[in-house]
Amino acid sequence: MGSKLFALVRRELGAYFSSPLAYVVLTACTVVNGWVFFLIVSYLNDPRTAPMAAFKLLFGGTIFFWLLLLFVLPVITMRLLAEERRSGTLEVLLTAPVTEFQVILGKFLASLVFYLFLWLPTLAHVALLARYSPLEWGPVVAGYLGVALLGSMFLSMGLLTSALVRNQIVAAVFAFALLVVVFSLGLVEGLVTAPTWKGVLSHMNLWSLMDDFSRGLVDTRWVIYPLSVTGLFLFLATKALEASKGR
Amino acid sequence: MIEVEGLTKRFVDRDVVADVSFFVPEGEVLGFLGPNGAGKTTTMRMITGYLAATAGRVRVAGHSLETDPLAVRASIGYLPENVPLYPEMRVEEYLRFRAAVEGIPRKLIRSRLDEVVERCLIAEVRRQVVGTLSKGYRQRVGLAGALIHKPPVLVLDEPTVGLDPRQIVKVRELIAELGREHTVILSTHILPEVEQICRRVLIIDGGRLVADGTPEELRGALLGDAELHLELDAPQAEATVALRMLDGVGEVKTESDGTFRLVLEGAVDPRRQVFELVVARGWTLMEMARSVPSLEDVFLRLTTRDAAADEEAENTRKKAVADNEEAIEEVGYGQ
Repeated sequence: MGSKLFALVRRELGAYFSSPLAYVVLTACTVVNGWVFFLIVSYLNDPRTAPMAAFKLLFGGTIFFWLLLLFVLPVITMRLLAEERRSGTLEVLLTAPVTEFQVILGKFLASLVFYLFLWLPTLAHVALLARYSPLEWGPVVAGYLGVALLGSMFLSMGLLTSALVRNQIVAAVFAFALLVVVFSLGLVEGLVTAPTWKGVLSHMNLWSLMDDFSRGLVDTRWVIYPLSVTGLFLFLATKALEASKGR
Repeated sequence: MIEVEGLTKRFVDRDVVADVSFFVPEGEVLGFLGPNGAGKTTTMRMITGYLAATAGRVRVAGHSLETDPLAVRASIGYLPENVPLYPEMRVEEYLRFRAAVEGIPRKLIRSRLDEVVERCLIAEVRRQVVGTLSKGYRQRVGLAGALIHKPPVLVLDEPTVGLDPRQIVKVRELIAELGREHTVILSTHILPEVEQICRRVLIIDGGRLVADGTPEELRGALLGDAELHLELDAPQAEATVALRMLDGVGEVKTESDGTFRLVLEGAVDPRRQVFELVVARGWTLMEMARSVPSLEDVFLRLTTRDAAADEEAENTRKKAVADNEEAIEEVGYGQ
């Protein structure tokens, strides 16, 4: 069981790193994160700024962070199942003695590893900051945790759309739409007046989630929410894959 | 080894495969024959578990597809039509992946890999990227992938499509050899292929089984016996009577161009007698030819039927098949 899953993850990662898209995405992320880092440095150079504000910028404090997630994650997940269905390799995979859930989990884990790999260059930014200014490690660690949790939630959604269609671009567009809806739930919170709905929406507000994490605050509900959404979407993707067999 | 019972697949409101039942004993090479769109691929996909059947049961190597799908999948080596492979992987890498997914223990992977690489004659491309391979090599790499876990059953969907004549010969030889150790189901629409490698043939048309037997049985049972074609310079009435008297001749038909057609019966070959008769009566023999019905004739008769008799039924069937293909296209099933 474990070795089959490992083989699936490894093949998927191999596919990521042998496609030009991976390097385009990697470049885009490095550029955007570099730009955010430049903003942080400018901020820190401003005598009126408190040093603490820096990590709010790195993790979710700028629109660039969210744009990156909303645009890049659908690109990461779009080919996962759509491409296998189009090329027919899915037929080989699903007639091998692996379960549909193993296939989904393997693809999810590979995309998560690739996503986290995209964040690796930002460790250099953190190291630079640590070198030239007093650094609190709590917000850094919590910030990366938030990045990982948000990523897993968005990736599982992208995986579902890729399981539903055979065209990568369609999968990416659907995923983008889905992410935008989930992301904007946080914006709706401010517009709703009914206290019950306000309460429900406040638990889904991804802005607050990243805000807390980037201040070094790890609230269990902010851990449970993305994890349970991930679980739900992996389950849905498994069901979609089972239902779409042979199509 | 493979038991299929009442297998049916309904797409929209038409049966693409209708109530197909057959049994394949261990060690048999079964040819699955039918025109394009007859339901061969659909049947194979249901056997391998890739497509859920609307009705019917499949058992492979003692496991039921319904209750133990993973065991069924583990006992089948499947080569889908068009041989889907991952283009970015190297051949060896791909085979290692297939081996791992099939659950072969790590220590055994190396030796299995060497075995299938040698067997499928792909040693010279084992380091090559799959996307750069020729069609013939792709086919053999796909076959190697299907063989890597030594499955008792091999399901091969049109394994020689798109190959050049030399490659076809090689792949056929390989399949014939595999038939000694594996139970094989092979689909094709190429008749000589079936005659060469299969011990038994199923003919499917419009989703239904229309024939089941060895190539010889099908020839005999469905087309009757061999015929002798004679061109004689002789009085027609006299010759007809005399020929009818010969041993092994069942019926004598005279054609409009004055030639004779003798339907042969039993194992006696009457050609020598015919010759002697012609000499004794002082006739002149211009031509004598014996014809044995080929599997091709059986196939054509079964799948096109008597045009005059049920042309209408045929048109309906064709329309149904075309509509099926459309429906299949709509749900994104065909390639």
